[in-house]
Amino acid sequence: MRKLKRYINNSNISRFRLIFQILAFLLLIYGGYVSIHIGTSIPTFACPYNQECPGTCYLISAQHQLHNTWASLFGFRGKAFLIGFLTFILFFLVINKAWCGYICPLGTIQDWITKVRNLAGVSFSRYDNLSFKRLKAIKYVILFLLIIIPLGMSNSLLGLPLFSEDLSAPFCQICPGRVVTPLFIGDTSQLFIDFTNTTTMIMSTLGIIVLALFFIGSFFKKRFFCFFCPMSALHSLFSPISPLRLNKKGDNCTRCGNCYRVCDVGIKAIADDIEHKYMVKDDCMMCFKCVEACPENDCLEVSFVKVPLFTSTEEGFFKRNLHLDNDMKNPSCTIIEDEPKRK
Amino acid sequence: MNQKENKRYERLSSSSKKQLVIESDQVLHELQTEFTDNLSGMDYFYGVAHQFARGQLSNQEKRKYIATSCVQVPIELIYAAGALPVRTCSGAHSMSMAGAEFLPARSCSLVNATFGAIHTNSLPVSSKPLAIINPTTCDQKKKLSEIPSGIDIPFYTLEVPPTKDSEEAREYWYRIVKKFTRDLEQITGKRIRKSNLKEAIFRVAKAQQAFRQLHQIRMGHHSIRGTDALLIANTFFYDDIDSWTHHLHSLNSELVQRLTGDLNRQNSSSPRILLTGSPSIFPNFKLPLMIEKMGGDIVVDEFCSSNRLLYDTVAVDEWNMYDMIPAIADRYLKACTCPCFTPNRDRDRKLLTYIKDFKVDGVVYQSFSGCQLYELESMRISKLLEQENIPMLYIETDYSPDDKGQLSTRIEAFIESLKAKKLHLIA
Repeated sequence: MRKLKRYINNSNISRFRLIFQILAFLLLIYGGYVSIHIGTSIPTFACPYNQECPGTCYLISAQHQLHNTWASLFGFRGKAFLIGFLTFILFFLVINKAWCGYICPLGTIQDWITKVRNLAGVSFSRYDNLSFKRLKAIKYVILFLLIIIPLGMSNSLLGLPLFSEDLSAPFCQICPGRVVTPLFIGDTSQLFIDFTNTTTMIMSTLGIIVLALFFIGSFFKKRFFCFFCPMSALHSLFSPISPLRLNKKGDNCTRCGNCYRVCDVGIKAIADDIEHKYMVKDDCMMCFKCVEACPENDCLEVSFVKVPLFTSTEEGFFKRNLHLDNDMKNPSCTIIEDEPKRK
Repeated sequence: MNQKENKRYERLSSSSKKQLVIESDQVLHELQTEFTDNLSGMDYFYGVAHQFARGQLSNQEKRKYIATSCVQVPIELIYAAGALPVRTCSGAHSMSMAGAEFLPARSCSLVNATFGAIHTNSLPVSSKPLAIINPTTCDQKKKLSEIPSGIDIPFYTLEVPPTKDSEEAREYWYRIVKKFTRDLEQITGKRIRKSNLKEAIFRVAKAQQAFRQLHQIRMGHHSIRGTDALLIANTFFYDDIDSWTHHLHSLNSELVQRLTGDLNRQNSSSPRILLTGSPSIFPNFKLPLMIEKMGGDIVVDEFCSSNRLLYDTVAVDEWNMYDMIPAIADRYLKACTCPCFTPNRDRDRKLLTYIKDFKVDGVVYQSFSGCQLYELESMRISKLLEQENIPMLYIETDYSPDDKGQLSTRIEAFIESLKAKKLHLIA
């Protein structure tokens, strides 16, 4: 048992994540070819605009379910909504925000773009503290809008006239997933601007702009889109009750900042906060790179129902990041791989 | 410099060098003979210290040297530029006498000695360094470059922010280190490439790993004398870093063997002491040696010359220049507990962690007279330790041996009281 624990703590979870992401990507993009169907409340971007998607992103279901009059929402349709919502929460709670880091196809695509940038040797950028605080609110605004607009299409809100039916599933109209995921099965039909009327024109143009921003932004900033993702906002409301947790022991922390350095979404609290235990902040995608970069024993820990799965260790740090073996019995400090050759 | 002055300088230089040899040999002799349980793995480190005093290190090779006056200089970059870092921080009383000629009366011994060592050219290497990298950490050190003394090595001022918690300080430091990289290329005439820097990070990380291993071994057991551990850290980059790492690894395995054998130094009555404050740099082992001779066991130290120098790691996400340089910069800023940063709560936390991990019975706080930063922080630390019910002995001293008698009385009393407390607790 101790041996297994040591093996896991020494392992390279980023490599595991890379493989897991590819498998999840194949499933969520091409799963339909093998007739898989996993429901309509998936807590990640499983986009049904892609014909072969084996499920439906919860956001599109929710937008459709909310597109109803108050009367029906408090009756039969409300039940459907509640069932969908509970399914979503159950799905989500199993692996918490790891849906973003391990499964979301849009996240995976962004990680691939990051890899390309890294290979090209182009530097990445970060938000400064102030912009970070301001910008992170945007996803909640989008979440609010995607709830309120469908409601406003069937009901008069605050005496306003009903919203245009062309706003149906408003977030999907600007979501890059609608255009990008069908591309992987060779379907380019979503790449258009709809000139039917002003509303469709505005929405589809916005969609194309967001798509362009998605590619450009994620080239220069790791996980650019995730920062504005309403799914992430919805997740963060339920994240604290999930059994999968990322905990920090403040006493063991030296505040060296390694975890913040490697964080793709730039969460500063992981390095600076030594008082709180639960470290899954609203932008976290649970990739656990912070745990990998932490050289202090037992400082950061991933656990599931209180069973520790992956813990930061000094040995693991040196082995993973610097390929240095830390075997007491073999003190010559053998280098496993990838040591640059001395000239 | 006229001829008279020149002659005087030569006399000063040669006599302080001679005194340095006498001083360090004396300390080494004490280290090797006063105690009965010497480790054979220590021979290498004693040897390096022996050579150090004679300025004979790395003599055989003609290499470029960059002198550093503080541990806050990113040595990975110096290695990557194909040069060797040489520490000028000196612990020699003779050097502090030489330096005192130029500095104000109440300067700290360490700064005096550092200046003296540079001025009399008593560095552990044969050829002159290309430059002296002088970080703006404490006030006394940062003004060194402006003192007229005829030193013909150029000073390079490395700007260190006065605080480390804010994002702005971090950004500023990133830019300074980036600039330092470019300037270092100018100084050494060698371009720092991606592969060189990666290799340098690996080399230092290997040394750090060995040092952290020693730290872990010390945490669990009474295994190595505190003075020996101090010497090990002190000899880091007095010699080739790779051979230092190699020898530390063999020492570590000797320690592990010793723990499993009969030679365990477990002696429950000797009080476990944490040493902190102004750093004891070889050959100034006055205080630590005194503690050990009186029966105290220095289980851990919080000195910039040892733990702070080697403990904190570099974590690189993308192995490109744009990420490696900030990663290196972070190592020297974020986890640093130097009192030149305000606020410095991390030091409190570090001390408390050490006290818990190493089961410390008492703290000895050394402060060199004139070292205002450590003097100032002693107030906070003593209050903190009082709350935690950990006895602390505050000692203000310098490099001169004059106060030995008075100090030994105080230390003896402190250690006896700790012993009594410990025995009382056990009984």
